Amino acid sequence: MIKVQDLHKSFGSFEVLKGIDVEVAEQEVVCVVGPSGSGKSTFLRCLNMLEDITSGRVIIGDDDLTDPKTNINMVRSEVGMVFQHFNLFPHMTVLENVTLGPLKVRRVSKEEANKTARDLLKKVGLADKADVYPESLSGGQKQRVAIARSLAMNPKVMLFDEPTSALDPELIGEVLETMKDLAKEGMTMVVVTHEMGFAREVGNRVIFMDEGIIMEENTPEEIFNNPQNPRTQAFLSKIL
Amino acid sequence: MIGLILAENWFVPFTDIIPIVLEGFWVTLEVIIAGFFFGFIIGSIFGLGRLSNNKFIYGISSVYVEVMRGTPILVQLLFIYYGLAAMIDVNFSALTAGILAITVNAGAYIAEIVRGAVYSIEKGQSEAGRSIGLTKAQTMRYIIWPQAIKRMIPPLGNQFIISLKDTSLFSIIALHEIVYQGRQYITTTFVIAQPYITIAIAYLVITIPFSLLLRRVERRLDV
Repeated sequence: MIKVQDLHKSFGSFEVLKGIDVEVAEQEVVCVVGPSGSGKSTFLRCLNMLEDITSGRVIIGDDDLTDPKTNINMVRSEVGMVFQHFNLFPHMTVLENVTLGPLKVRRVSKEEANKTARDLLKKVGLADKADVYPESLSGGQKQRVAIARSLAMNPKVMLFDEPTSALDPELIGEVLETMKDLAKEGMTMVVVTHEMGFAREVGNRVIFMDEGIIMEENTPEEIFNNPQNPRTQAFLSKIL
Repeated sequence: MIGLILAENWFVPFTDIIPIVLEGFWVTLEVIIAGFFFGFIIGSIFGLGRLSNNKFIYGISSVYVEVMRGTPILVQLLFIYYGLAAMIDVNFSALTAGILAITVNAGAYIAEIVRGAVYSIEKGQSEAGRSIGLTKAQTMRYIIWPQAIKRMIPPLGNQFIISLKDTSLFSIIALHEIVYQGRQYITTTFVIAQPYITIAIAYLVITIPFSLLLRRVERRLDV
């Protein structure tokens, strides 16, 4: 589903990603962990070209994002992204947030968009919040709306960029539950996270990144119980 | 004797002056509303131009803003009214010249207001828009612009009042606006104090209700 080859990314003279090779299979849930500044968020943002790629290739499905002929808007519409700070549109109601993409990108009818949106809001447990504005929601509710907004585009892949890092501790669970449900339904997911419990329980594979490269990748059991790389060991010993 | 003349002229009833200044009031209103309307369009174009990644568009927009902000509106007005006529043989009426002067001058300041407001919208908003597949233009139209407009309202209100007062200079090209009309009254009657008071009040009649209206709009939009 996702194929990344020798991905490099520099900001000016500072090289953040120093050659990443990853493949993610359909229905796989890959968790990316690592210390801050390791490049994991940048890596995720390269997967839908929110960051320009310095060199290397990123292929999503059949689309090579680095090919200038690729319609990047089209690809993005099929790659959902959930941000640390939710990034809901504050001037729109929850329902409008969720229907904007289907209406303007997919050009579906208003009735159809509303129906899909209400179904999705129900799924994330926010059916009663359709007509309120985001400011009246808690952080956890906002993030679930953001997930619904991405799902409304019926994406092939979902990218999560530290989706629970901005949440109060008691609100983290509800977002993780929603993500867990999604994983169970077979969504292909790449999750940058500090939630090791989630990575262990839901992830099919864990990637440990540091200093712009993948230091180690393995099943959650192997990574957490039997890390090979000393950097992984040091990192896990600090957070577990 | 002198005292008598002064007293006589001082007690001219305001009802004599008001109709004459009122004629100018409508002209002033026409100039500021049309000028500010077109100025907002121009300002939006150049303000967004100043945010463009395209060096050419950015350059043109910057030159426009710097030139129009950096020169007096009086000079701009005289150039539009006399200069262009001499240069390329276009003759604008005083009214058109006045509207154009407000348009190009306010346009430059509004461009900065637009640029600042659009720039102030968090980057995550456009990233969220782009990530659901919206084009750059759609992201601007549906996500950035509606939020930016709210932030523009206070500085736009400020600029409106500044531009309104700028129109008082346009009596120099015999545009029959408020100041021109008041001065006409003075030169024909030698009554001096009351016309100026009337002129001042005429501007306040626009600015005070405008400020109150703006405050209500701001409260409604919660900016």
